[in-house]
Amino acid sequence: MRTSKRLNTHKNAITTTRQARLLSQLATVGLFALALIWLVPLIWTLLVSVRPSDEPLIYQIRGVAGTPLQTVVNIFYGSRLTLENFREAFNVVNWGQEYITTLIFVFGVLAVQIVTIVLSAYAFARMEFFGKNILLGLILIQLMIPSAVLIVPNFATIRSLGLFDTKLALMLPYFGSAFGTFLLRQTFKQVPIDLEDAARIDGCNWWGILWTVYIPSSIPTLTAFALVSISTHWNEFLWPLMITQSDYNRPLTVGLGQLQRTNEVGALYGQITAGVLIVTATLLVLFLIFQRQFINSFLQSGLK
Amino acid sequence: MSTAAVDNANKSSSKANAAVGIRRARLWRIMLPYLLILPTFLFIFTFTLWPTVSAAISSTIKPGVTVRQPGKFVGLNNYVELFDPNTAIGEAFPRVLLNTLIFVVVTVPVSMAMAFGLALALNRKMRALALFRFAFFYPVLMPLISAASVFAFIYADNIGLANTVIHSFGLPTHRWIGDPFWTPIAIMIVAIWKQTGFYMIIYLAALQALPTDVYEAADLDGASAWNKIRQITIPLLSATTLFVLTSAAANAFQMVDQLYSLGEGVPQDKSNLMLYFIFQKFNERANVGYVNAITVILLLMLLAFTVFNLTFLERRAYYEN
Repeated sequence: MRTSKRLNTHKNAITTTRQARLLSQLATVGLFALALIWLVPLIWTLLVSVRPSDEPLIYQIRGVAGTPLQTVVNIFYGSRLTLENFREAFNVVNWGQEYITTLIFVFGVLAVQIVTIVLSAYAFARMEFFGKNILLGLILIQLMIPSAVLIVPNFATIRSLGLFDTKLALMLPYFGSAFGTFLLRQTFKQVPIDLEDAARIDGCNWWGILWTVYIPSSIPTLTAFALVSISTHWNEFLWPLMITQSDYNRPLTVGLGQLQRTNEVGALYGQITAGVLIVTATLLVLFLIFQRQFINSFLQSGLK
Repeated sequence: MSTAAVDNANKSSSKANAAVGIRRARLWRIMLPYLLILPTFLFIFTFTLWPTVSAAISSTIKPGVTVRQPGKFVGLNNYVELFDPNTAIGEAFPRVLLNTLIFVVVTVPVSMAMAFGLALALNRKMRALALFRFAFFYPVLMPLISAASVFAFIYADNIGLANTVIHSFGLPTHRWIGDPFWTPIAIMIVAIWKQTGFYMIIYLAALQALPTDVYEAADLDGASAWNKIRQITIPLLSATTLFVLTSAAANAFQMVDQLYSLGEGVPQDKSNLMLYFIFQKFNERANVGYVNAITVILLLMLLAFTVFNLTFLERRAYYEN
């Protein structure tokens, strides 16, 4: 009785491992298939952008009179590698200017955010004052109300401040960050209070304490916040599109959107894919190099 | 004046100075936290809190025909007109609202389920992990507008990749952008493609943090792989799932940039989404009340989702600590 039971367990264990192995092989095959599908837009972009623009990947030809149009797929036979798509794309859109605008926008936001969140996080982490919880609650409302949803009233505010079509208008809604405040407050709370006391005895004022104790010990958190902030704002589209008008105030994404709009049924394949790469390459290359840091940053931003 | 008198005068004045100094220091100590919070609070008040209130106020006002003509308070009339098929805006809006709900209700569970599946499949020792991580995560770092520009080619009618592949299998092709049934699906595919990788890495991290002893015990009992997933993994990850669900729903309401390159809601707003609809209408003076009302509805929906997730689902979620 007992032996048969043990035998049964043994048999179960064998089927389990066999099952597990089969499952793991299935998973690998599925993963490869899905990964390929996921990569299609990127591969497509890379392929098209370096082919002559009159040689699309897929095109239709008319056969002998009377036969229907035939679709021809031609992935490998581009006659030559070329950068002319990029040159043409540069003739239509001032990418250099827009790249600079994007950099100013992204790093302007980040610089102000770092200052504001360090200050407020310190107050919320280490000071006691009247109305602390209410103020924190009010600030954390921003976690639930993304500014993307408030484009209409924010547009009105920017208009009334006389800031329409300025780079400052692009950045202003993002200067205060509840998420950053919260994230950094959690980190500051982990800093041993003894370090702060020691710095105070050494004669540091609040600013010295922040600079010598808190900021150095929260560099990983600040890096994570910076990476997420940069990639979020780099990809911003609707707000810049609404709030700017002049070319020199428009970031890369808006330039691409406009280029895409001038496209008549796929005539500009080459230029648009070149544009997509110009807009996207910076972050993707950084991601390729710093894959682990990027993923950890997004994780940290996700998991409190 | 004798030196003693001068001394005395000096002493009393320095005493007074000290008193002022102490008072100042105390005032400073009381004020400091408020000053530290001020910048953050000011920006969040101006661009999050006040706009929320102002949208609610503006949503009750019917704008005058010209700039000089003042608006008129109309109560909830703008909201009524949004749902009145006899008004220009009411013709379109209910459909857009429905689209948005469908978009959220479809893309969120689908991308979460795919993310969970992918995380399970990736949660073992494998050589190609970096490749897979790149393949699924890069869309997160790609602007939605870039993605949409590429997808516009994939969805093109005759020479698009999607139709070419479908056709090569002998299946009927679609007008991906333009057909009332397929356009919303095309829009949702872009969103799912973009978001899945983000939720995948969250699930993957959570899986890697799970205790191994439970699984060892289950192995001893001869539990099947499926049973382990269903009875151990899913319950243990319920807190993660709750978090992902909350942020996925909030994200889904904002994912509209792709519409700019993918038809702008064609045909007749059948694939349009609320935030994009707001963007299309806000510039016209007559629509000011409407777009603010839609903003309020959008905010209420966001809040409803968050509150629902946090109150109803949190009770069921299992927390490790």
